[in-house]
Amino acid sequence: MFYRTAGQFKTTYSADQALYPIRQDAILLGIVLAVAYVILPMVASEFAFRALLVPVLIYALAALGLNILTGFAGQLSLGTGAFMGVGAYACYKLTTIFPEMNIVIALFLSGFFSAAVGVAFGLPSLRIKGFYLAIATLAAQFFLVWLFEKAGWLYNYNASGAIEVRTLDLFGLTVTGPTATPVTQYYFVLVTVTVITLLTINLTRGRYGRTWKAVRDMDIAAELVGINLMRAKLTAFAVSSYIVGIAGALLVFFFKGAAEPNLFDIELSFLILFIAIIGGLGSILGNFLGAILIVALPVILNVIPDALGIPVSSATFEHINDMIIGALIVTILIVEPHGLARFWAVIREKLIIWPFPH
Amino acid sequence: MRRRNWIALAAGIAASTVVATTAVQAEELYIPNLSYRTGPFAATGTPLMNGQRDYIEMLNSRDGGVNGVKLGYDECETGYNTNKGVECYEKTKGKAIVTQPWSTGITLQVLPRTNVDKIPILAPGYGFSPMSDGSVFQWGFNPPASYWDAASMILKHISGGDLDSLKGQKVALLHLDHPYGKEPLPLLSAMSEKHGFKLLPIPVGLKEMQNQSAQWLQIRRERPDWVIMWGWGAMNTGALTEAVKTRFPMEKFVGVWWSGHDNDMRVVGDKGKGYKSISWNVPGDYPVMADVKKHVIDAGKSLLADPADANTVFYQRGLVISMILVEGIKAAQAHFDSKIINAEQLRWGLENLNVDEAKLKELGMGGMTVPFSTSCSNHTGHGGGWMLEWDGTKFVQASDHLTPDRAAIEPLEAAKAKEYAENNKPWPVTACNG
Repeated sequence: MFYRTAGQFKTTYSADQALYPIRQDAILLGIVLAVAYVILPMVASEFAFRALLVPVLIYALAALGLNILTGFAGQLSLGTGAFMGVGAYACYKLTTIFPEMNIVIALFLSGFFSAAVGVAFGLPSLRIKGFYLAIATLAAQFFLVWLFEKAGWLYNYNASGAIEVRTLDLFGLTVTGPTATPVTQYYFVLVTVTVITLLTINLTRGRYGRTWKAVRDMDIAAELVGINLMRAKLTAFAVSSYIVGIAGALLVFFFKGAAEPNLFDIELSFLILFIAIIGGLGSILGNFLGAILIVALPVILNVIPDALGIPVSSATFEHINDMIIGALIVTILIVEPHGLARFWAVIREKLIIWPFPH
Repeated sequence: MRRRNWIALAAGIAASTVVATTAVQAEELYIPNLSYRTGPFAATGTPLMNGQRDYIEMLNSRDGGVNGVKLGYDECETGYNTNKGVECYEKTKGKAIVTQPWSTGITLQVLPRTNVDKIPILAPGYGFSPMSDGSVFQWGFNPPASYWDAASMILKHISGGDLDSLKGQKVALLHLDHPYGKEPLPLLSAMSEKHGFKLLPIPVGLKEMQNQSAQWLQIRRERPDWVIMWGWGAMNTGALTEAVKTRFPMEKFVGVWWSGHDNDMRVVGDKGKGYKSISWNVPGDYPVMADVKKHVIDAGKSLLADPADANTVFYQRGLVISMILVEGIKAAQAHFDSKIINAEQLRWGLENLNVDEAKLKELGMGGMTVPFSTSCSNHTGHGGGWMLEWDGTKFVQASDHLTPDRAAIEPLEAAKAKEYAENNKPWPVTACNG
């Protein structure tokens, strides 16, 4: 009834291969975009922008990057946090060396640095896989964070050892630094994330996406049908690290404003990995759902006792909060090991055949 | 029946929401604290937060607040995590008149935003040393002394007042490899060049805090004449146990004020005898403690696990920190002739603090902390401190009032503040008259 596909006939191949061949999907996407672009900016408070919306988008983007590598190409990585750091430090260096550089250009250039580093640390993937590769990327994690701490050049020999974001303008509008309004920053992040997500959806549907999936499902078979394994794995590392690097630069420039090296520590890698797993490996939508669950839900839960006037001390509630989120994650993984995206797929299928169950 | 229960619950929630909002609207000054009673540093955070909280509780129940206005003390838990710190800052800044970030990382992130949000940061004894320069950091306050003051006082004490006597000696700086631990480096290296002693920085990574065998092996090999420690949380215990194990003479081991925590010392107990730490408060039995005991601890309002912990350095430091904030509120109330003040007015108050000996006596805190005063250009006060020494069971005062060598520090502060302003252009800088 709500999701009736009857009567939607495809008469051309391009119509059949469209991004959203079912009308209801397109409508739903339209509603989500309208909420994100029009309604939320009108109703959200500064707290919502700074503590909820912007971080959710940025973490979802980072998970999207990791998902290309882990979900689509099947290469396990524990170095996501450090690759985000490479993007952030590259963007910081670019904007300090070339103060006139447009922030958009700096942002998209900084992705190339993390892509290069990602490929370098992805090289072992040609010989090893699975847990062994995870250890190799773990080495990247520790080495890079150590480098951020030791190499004074990277943080311009700042006394505090941290990188601090300057105020940058884009078309006369302040987009970074303390004077930037939360709405401007939100729009900037939203547009960036939308563009990259759109590109990624198409990339994963195209030739590269298919070779990645073939490698993931069985690399020997993929090699036998003529797929160049080296190229497939390294492109996955490059694209993944590129997106992760941009997410790192966004994290520092549009959310935090300053960053110490240990921000990019292994905990960040785990957080991103959790988002990707809870959301659903090998899906695009899952990253957003996972980020909402893992990043936004604790913040929302934290506001509840205050809003209801329940006298719980902040520290106690922090423990309760951890328990709630932990229980939710375990429940979700038991009920649906393939993540939230799979949940949505099941609901969608049920809606399509509703009211006739199988 | 079941439905009725739901309705009752909903009504209850709605009613309590109304009550909560009206409670906030009542006349009070909202002073939140970004606390960390959870996470890796909870052991050191908890006594400090307890002290801060109890001083406010004491004022609220003894005097009904400050000049008749209740103080709305509230905690927002960060777990020492910068993400949550930013979240808490955003959550509280709307009605708060002050922000107390409680971590160098959160301070760094909040610092630029406070310029725009016009809300003062109170970071007593931590944060960024150049924050002292009020013409550049108009909204940052770190009274009563900065980290560079601490480094200068430690050098003064170990050299017996004459820094040139350190010539040819070797001074190791065992520090957390983190913005906080790196803070004293610029000053110490400048001093080592000027006075001819050899500085040996030994970093301890965040992950190796509890296992410092490599660092202490290096200390044993290099045989430094002094070890200065810039440690925090679990790192202090790690360093002390290793020092005991390697039989490093405790008299030659001096920590900064965050490395002088009773609970860290209890682990080594008697073997830690002689260890020193600089401090701007001395634990003891002051008149104010009687009031805290009567109105808060004995009344069952305190979160202290054991009432005996009220005599520790960190708990009492928490009291002093809240005292500094309350004195700022009082100054602002008097100047603007209004009981309810806003964040901008509190900034004036914190800029015009005058906590002298007489004022401390009046508060029942004579000798508990250093006297100091702030001004537009001096946001730290530079009140100095005392050396505390561990006698096996508790910290006791081990020196006269020490003061930092301001002549040597000031040019460095001005240079670094200027550098910060330039790196963060456009950064508002005002001129201060005095």
